[in-house]
Amino acid sequence: MQAKVKILVVDDELPVCRSISSALEAEGRLIDTALGGEEALRKEEENEYDIMLVDLMMPGMSGMDLLKAVKEKRAEVVVVMITGYPTMDTAVQSVKLGAFDYIPKPFTPDELRSIVSRALERRRLYEQKIASAEKPGEEESAEPGLPKNLYCIPDHCWAKVEGDGTVRIGVHDIFLMTIKDISSIDFPYENEKVGQGDACLWVVDARGNLHRMWSPVSGQVISINEELKEDYSQVMRDPYGSGWLLLIKPASLEDDLKNLAPLVLE
Amino acid sequence: MRHISIRTRLVLSFSIVILVGVLLSAFVGIRLIGNTIIRQAQGKVRLDLNSAWEVYKGQSENIKDVVRLTAVRFFMKDAVSKNDRERLWRELQKIRESESLDILTLIDGEGRVLVRARRPDLFGDPLDNDIIEYVLINEREIVSTQIITEEQLQKEGGDLASQARMKLIPTPKAKPRPEAEETSGMMIIAAAPVYDYHGDLIGILLGGKLLNRDYEIVDRVKDIVYRGETYQGKDIGTATIFQGDLRIATNVLREDGSRAIGTRVSEEVYDQVIGQGAPWIGRAFVVNDWYITAYEPIKSLQGEIIGMLYVGMLEAPYLDLRNRVLFIFLGIALLSVILLSIIAYFTTAKVVRPVRQLLFATEKVADGNLSHRLPIQSRDEMGQLAASFNRMTEELQKATEGYHMLTRTLEDKVREKTEELKATQDQLIQSEKLTSLGKLAAGIAHEINNPLTSILINSHLIAEKLKSDDRFKENLELITDETARCSTIVKGLLEFSRQTQPEKRLTDVNKVVDKTLLLLRSEALAHKVRIHKALDSALPDIMIDGNKIEQVFTNVILNALEAMPTGGDLFISSRILSEDQLVAVSFRDSGCGISQENIGKIFDPFFTTKERTGTGLGLSVSYGIVQQHGGRIEVQSQMEKGTTVTILLPANNTRGQNSKTGR
Repeated sequence: MQAKVKILVVDDELPVCRSISSALEAEGRLIDTALGGEEALRKEEENEYDIMLVDLMMPGMSGMDLLKAVKEKRAEVVVVMITGYPTMDTAVQSVKLGAFDYIPKPFTPDELRSIVSRALERRRLYEQKIASAEKPGEEESAEPGLPKNLYCIPDHCWAKVEGDGTVRIGVHDIFLMTIKDISSIDFPYENEKVGQGDACLWVVDARGNLHRMWSPVSGQVISINEELKEDYSQVMRDPYGSGWLLLIKPASLEDDLKNLAPLVLE
Repeated sequence: MRHISIRTRLVLSFSIVILVGVLLSAFVGIRLIGNTIIRQAQGKVRLDLNSAWEVYKGQSENIKDVVRLTAVRFFMKDAVSKNDRERLWRELQKIRESESLDILTLIDGEGRVLVRARRPDLFGDPLDNDIIEYVLINEREIVSTQIITEEQLQKEGGDLASQARMKLIPTPKAKPRPEAEETSGMMIIAAAPVYDYHGDLIGILLGGKLLNRDYEIVDRVKDIVYRGETYQGKDIGTATIFQGDLRIATNVLREDGSRAIGTRVSEEVYDQVIGQGAPWIGRAFVVNDWYITAYEPIKSLQGEIIGMLYVGMLEAPYLDLRNRVLFIFLGIALLSVILLSIIAYFTTAKVVRPVRQLLFATEKVADGNLSHRLPIQSRDEMGQLAASFNRMTEELQKATEGYHMLTRTLEDKVREKTEELKATQDQLIQSEKLTSLGKLAAGIAHEINNPLTSILINSHLIAEKLKSDDRFKENLELITDETARCSTIVKGLLEFSRQTQPEKRLTDVNKVVDKTLLLLRSEALAHKVRIHKALDSALPDIMIDGNKIEQVFTNVILNALEAMPTGGDLFISSRILSEDQLVAVSFRDSGCGISQENIGKIFDPFFTTKERTGTGLGLSVSYGIVQQHGGRIEVQSQMEKGTTVTILLPANNTRGQNSKTGR
């Protein structure tokens, strides 16, 4: 394999940093910790990390500022935000600003590892793209003429506002690429309520990792794509068409859409 | 005086004025009339006295004429010259009788009696008196009233003395006299000279009439002046001739009807008339009655006062006349007083009645009855007073009503505001509590999240490394489970603190209820709770955040289910309270109820009766949500009977009010 994967954990509390570090310790990984935004930036300049795990709520330079600063310099760094529950809006917004994903505290080592494995996949995708086009694809702005009813949490999920006001949601192809294959999907019940940025379903990959999928909008689950239960590969084949996951009746669509980015289909 | 009414006072004072006026005029009138009558009577008496004098003087002149004419007769000259006494006596006796004289005596030139008509046997005695002397000196006839002594009277004739003799009858008020009888008499005597053919005085002829007991003059006076008029059987007019103070000829009668001769005049009159020689005119008590009298002195030839001539009118007719006038006058006065009093009574009634009504009305007003009105009966000052009184009470009534209304409104307002204030205060306290607790919870949750993360990760990492049969495996699982529970509690806390502004849309509350029930149906079934719905289909859509309200309903229903662990009934109803512009959704369970002690705490954060299963935030969060909607939650509960929770949401929210305008 190539060089070691470099990971930086940023949290203002040392025990948290160490816990995360020890949970992620593995062959071929170099894990650093930083106790603040400034320290993280300094270390980032030295080491050029592949993945950064950043706590959103920190004294001094906030996680969001750090994200912006890092992404400005090196867009290919995969940043995963660590959030507290009250900062869920900010979490979704951070994804719009370029974070790869987020993980709410407290979490188990498995949850952490799942998201980091996806982050590694994402990092690999970047490297391939950098090798081929030298530019991350989703950075391209929406082309004119595209339907305006398509939105997404970048690299994560999409939402399509239907004519009857309901919202069809599905999984982003980048998300699929980071998990590689789907062994099963844990769907919500019909009529269950979901909030924007909350987990609305779980995707189990071939290795048995559980991956949360955030709901792009708040609302109530009207129906799920029952066809998928027989053949999950449908999602992989056509994530934006027959591979849709849920139909949601939105509760506050207008406000939700502000946190979302337009979806650009290639 | 206070208890005497105005009316009585008016009438009284009116009557007093009238009475005084009438009495005064009566007094003056009576005095005037009385005086006039008396004065007229006195004037008449004075005239009557003159008439009486005429009669008296006529008599005197008559005697004088008889004496003068007899003295110049030839037989006198012849018989005296021839000293023919026989013839003289015969002739003189004839004349005396025919002329009814009491004496007729001839005296010679030397003053001796030649012949007496009544006593031919007595002559030659000297006769001397003032009259004879007058004739001798003046050689002309004379008549006068003279006092004749008893001795002289006896010389002139036996019966003359007894005619003159008069017993004095004791008379009250008379001047006391020592003697018991009067013996001399009073006589009108005339004398004339007798001449011979040569014209030489040869004698003097004397003729007289004795006045004592001779009623000719007084009766003639009575007849001429008073024409015999009587009053109640009494002669109105009387006349008397006094010799000194003694009545010698009179027609004043005594009680027995006899003439009152022998009685005397009162001392008062005597002093004035005889003592001073002045006439008396005025009231006098004569014998036995009051008379209006006039007395004048009778003088002798020498001017000596020897008697009085009197006329008198009975006073009684005048007094009666005066009294009659007085009675008429008094009658008229009395009648006037009565009449005027009656008029006053009715006049004052006209004045007093409105005053009484006014008094009555003012008492009513004083008692607080402001609706009483006075009748307006006239256009005078009383009518105007009544009108202005009415106007006054009307204004007063209006003002009082306004005042009362204001007070009532004010009281209502104060009560209303106090209630509002209390409600607001309660809400404020509750929301203050929630806000500060929310902040606290958020802070705690965030701080706890970090150690929880460390614990969770590390316990998992240890578990991964332990063999499956390690004896600490179980302990570690306990740690990880409990940490997960902590995480859940923290999540709840954060949920609570993360009370974002509701995003309101026009929503059908009934649909929210249905949606909530859809989710909780299986839960209800598990609790063996039957759900009964009575939703008002006419509810208007209201501005709410459907999701948040659904959260509220969920919390309430879950609590209700918890309260009925062995099953029961849940009644859900919705209705509009139009007067309060509220939509009400009630949840009534048949559960265990909430104790009085706890009912005040159920909205407090972390208050729970579920021990390990609840966070105590459900109702607190619900309260916050409903409050954010401008509504309220009401809870009624009875132990062992059940609890009713009513959620009230304002129905008058407009479309324009949405999350953006709120804080």
